[in-house]
Amino acid sequence: MSRPPVPLKNPAKAALLAWLVPGLGHFYQGRTGKGILYAVCIIGLYTLGLVLGEGKVVFWTWTNPLADSERFRLSFLSQAPVGLPAILAVVQSILKWYGEQPIFWGFLAEPSQIAINGLQPKLGKIVEIAWVYTAVAGLLNVLAIYDAYDGPAHIDDELEEESESATAASPASEKNAPLGGVKVEGRA
Amino acid sequence: MTNIFWFVLPLAVSISLVYAASRHESWPRIWGHAIRLCLTILGVLLLSTLVLLLINTQI
Repeated sequence: MSRPPVPLKNPAKAALLAWLVPGLGHFYQGRTGKGILYAVCIIGLYTLGLVLGEGKVVFWTWTNPLADSERFRLSFLSQAPVGLPAILAVVQSILKWYGEQPIFWGFLAEPSQIAINGLQPKLGKIVEIAWVYTAVAGLLNVLAIYDAYDGPAHIDDELEEESESATAASPASEKNAPLGGVKVEGRA
Repeated sequence: MTNIFWFVLPLAVSISLVYAASRHESWPRIWGHAIRLCLTILGVLLLSTLVLLLINTQI
């Protein structure tokens, strides 16, 4: 019996959804199990990092890195692959740039320098762990986005192995079903 | 006080599961790869911690 194909549907749309919310692109493709796995692991890790860092480890500032490297948030680049909070952080920084009040009670807005400086004495190494959690969650979502866009990396090996086992089981059917009906939709 | 080393567990488990899921589509392969990777990560971390403890002259 052949397993169903990998339904990539519209890969670009799936990748965009996977960027916005980890796992959402896979739900769109009908790969529910993987969607749940990505959502639990990536959103869970990201949320844990945010909670541990009291919501002050993810934010963006419009700063020239050459002029003010201290305030430039290079770490945000690794947090940004989790799209929805990244968009909110950028919106909050734009509002601050124009002198407006932050939305959503200042969630993911740039904290004051006093608050940032107070984190380390208050929480100790937990701040670094919180930062690592959010950054790693963002980087892991890059893998999830690519999986939504192009399917799993070793799918060809799986198909080949499945085909070989099917051929060994029924040599007469080799001509009719060389891949056992398995294929990756959306691939060349 | 909670030992800070426990914080490595969610990280190792998440990395293993997500990486394995991005490599394979069938669940037995995902679980197998994830368990192997998780044990490898934890083993390497444990080994490097032991080496650091051994060479630490303060102990």
